Amino acid sequence: MAGSALRRLMAEYKQLTLNPPEGIIAGPINEENFFEWEALITGPEGTCFEGGIFPAKLIFPPDYPLSPPKMQFICEMFHPNIYADGRVCISILHAPGDDPMGYESSAERWSPVQSVEKILLSVVSMLAEPNDESGANVDAAKMWREDRKQFNKIAEKLVRKTLGLPSP
Amino acid sequence: MPVTLVDRLPLPNLKVYTAGSVLLLSVAVYYAVSVTNDPNWRTNTTVQALEGAAQGPTGDAALSPPPLRAPLQLTNDTGNVTEQMVEVISFMMQEPLCIWTLVNGAYCALGVAGCALRRLVFGRLRVAEAQRIKDKFWNYVFYKFIFVSGVVNVQYMDEVLLWCSWFTLLGCLHLLAQLCKDRFEYLSSSPQPARWAHARLLALLAGVLGAAGTLLAAAARWGLPVGRDTFAFMAAECVLVGVTALHVVARFVLRARDADPAGPAAYYTHLVFDSVSLATELAHVAHMVVHCNALVSMASLVLLMQLRHLLHALLARLRRHRIYTALAHHMRRNYPMASREEVEENEDNCAICWEPMKEARKLPCSHLFHNSCLCRWVQQDASCPTCRRALSAAADAARRPRPPRPLRPLHPLRPLRPPPLAPHDPHAPHGPQLAANVNRANHFFHFDGSRYVSWLPSFSVEVRRVRADAPPDPPADSQLEAMARQVQQVFPQFSLDALSEDLAHTRSPDRTVDNILAGRLLPHPHQHHQQHQHHQRHGDVSHAEEPPATVTAPESPGPAEHAPGPAEHAPDRFGVLERPRDSGEWQVRFSVSAAERQRTLQRRKDQLLAAARRRYLLRDRRQPAAPPAPAAPPATAAPAAQPPFK
Repeated sequence: MAGSALRRLMAEYKQLTLNPPEGIIAGPINEENFFEWEALITGPEGTCFEGGIFPAKLIFPPDYPLSPPKMQFICEMFHPNIYADGRVCISILHAPGDDPMGYESSAERWSPVQSVEKILLSVVSMLAEPNDESGANVDAAKMWREDRKQFNKIAEKLVRKTLGLPSP
Repeated sequence: MPVTLVDRLPLPNLKVYTAGSVLLLSVAVYYAVSVTNDPNWRTNTTVQALEGAAQGPTGDAALSPPPLRAPLQLTNDTGNVTEQMVEVISFMMQEPLCIWTLVNGAYCALGVAGCALRRLVFGRLRVAEAQRIKDKFWNYVFYKFIFVSGVVNVQYMDEVLLWCSWFTLLGCLHLLAQLCKDRFEYLSSSPQPARWAHARLLALLAGVLGAAGTLLAAAARWGLPVGRDTFAFMAAECVLVGVTALHVVARFVLRARDADPAGPAAYYTHLVFDSVSLATELAHVAHMVVHCNALVSMASLVLLMQLRHLLHALLARLRRHRIYTALAHHMRRNYPMASREEVEENEDNCAICWEPMKEARKLPCSHLFHNSCLCRWVQQDASCPTCRRALSAAADAARRPRPPRPLRPLHPLRPLRPPPLAPHDPHAPHGPQLAANVNRANHFFHFDGSRYVSWLPSFSVEVRRVRADAPPDPPADSQLEAMARQVQQVFPQFSLDALSEDLAHTRSPDRTVDNILAGRLLPHPHQHHQQHQHHQRHGDVSHAEEPPATVTAPESPGPAEHAPGPAEHAPDRFGVLERPRDSGEWQVRFSVSAAERQRTLQRRKDQLLAAARRRYLLRDRRQPAAPPAPAAPPATAAPAAQPPFK
């Protein structure tokens, strides 16, 4: 089983290398372990995360692509749909079988036609448009709703941090 | 687990060990030489041994052979080198300390030989392989220790030595076979075939198989006279090694014959090998449990646990197979194999494994997949992976005792969802989930990217629940075709296929017409032939409740295009990527060598970060007071030399 996962990951890696979407880079952290990737995601322009380069880790299951990978930002993040420890909460990363909340229809969840590229693209759009109704980070959701100015300030600080620039 | 415990032990590496062993061995030889220089050594040691034997009858009497010839040899002691060598060796065989040094030396030699072989065939081990080998090694040592101490109940030191050397040889073969397996898996997934590496692997596998055969013959030759049990114990291990090696060879053959990696031939090969090796191991452990008659000992406890684990593994394998056959049967009946023309016409790879299809199964929604890929997926979720159309009947075939998941008659949305609905709510109420889902009203989301930046596209998403009174089953094919013809009369530029596909979901000509008028259904959707993306775009076209541009939302179509509408943007997605640009960013080569790939990746990461930093500083300087300006014109902000963001 792991063999087919490996082949598929290799194909995705190849595609992401030869045809990368704008501002997104992803690949295995170390080819010794093809099931652990690092991705760099550029904050979408025109949003408060603009310009930041956000690193995230992707952990693939041995039966990938039948099960979705897990994704976790490894930089500090403040976003309504990202847990404080960096785990990303979007529906396409949820396995079709388990629906702990009974909230999503199976159509929104993982399917093997999804790919690393599509996950990362959805994360980019999640950064652009947080869903403040479903808060993985309640504080961030509240601030996003009520005090956008403060939220933008925090985001700006995070952006500077990811670029290795000192806070102003 | 023995492995975690062993990890903490400070074990010397091979170099230190070899040096130590050589040193010990030379000391022992020196000692033996100096003792045998004394012509009377035999009488001295014989006397000691006899005394020892007299004092402790259970002592290592078996170790010291009765020195009958000793008085004879005493007389004709010469300076002849060969005779002295014989003397030295026979002395060392008698002296317990020297024996242990010799055994240690043998192990050391084996280790060095194994290392050399490994270096010759595999080169540097990958971390994963090394870890696997280490785990396997310590597990092996642990179970063999249990076996020797708890099961065969050895009485004498030489018996222990015999078993140890037997298991050492087999252990080496086990490890080599495991390494071959791991390496083959890695090689078969790497982008280019390495013929030379494959040849070396095959040679090693042949060697392993030969050695296992020889050992099996040895077991029959020397084990059978001792007893059936002994023979069975010895043979089981040989068979296990043989099966592992043969499995790898079988994979080689499958690959060489270009067999569909997800096809039935490969499936049944794996099934047979998996079950044979599990069954052999199971029988072996069961035999051990029966053989060690002391039922309440540590050894039997460990063995019983192992037995339970193996039994579970075997049953799980067989259960999986049962589900597989049930599903295969169901799929054979309900979803026909695609015809040869259909497979050829469909230039895409299987959307699940991304590998080319020689034969494929066709779902009612006309999506093609490998038979076994589909099988494995349907075991998890009874829907078409591409369009999410429910295959409710397939679910029943494989459904285990657990209650079937309610497959709501959702409108098949495209799997990738734009952000507004995407994140799911961890705080959502647990209780009346289903009701809430069914009663949710239609949602309409609109994202106007051009409000922020010129290159961001606009898109809107409509989530519509199918009315409860809609027929749960799609209309029959003839009905569909009739409806499609009806619509085609109005819109002749649409192919019949595209129309019936859309109709299969909307189930009403009026709504399909709506889709066409709203630009959600595009004419000639099949003329693009980008691999992999076909399914996804296919989804765009056929499930037109959503505008097709959602997936492309975060992508920049290039500086020249200003906020393209969904209709013109979607088919152009790959055209945009293919358009030659002067940036070298995406023209990176995908190297064959892992190290170079790694370097390229690192360089790209550094470039991205550096470019982002430069751009950020530049923007910062231009607008010092306004933090994240919503409408920063990116085309001018970026220096011309920066590849990723123009």
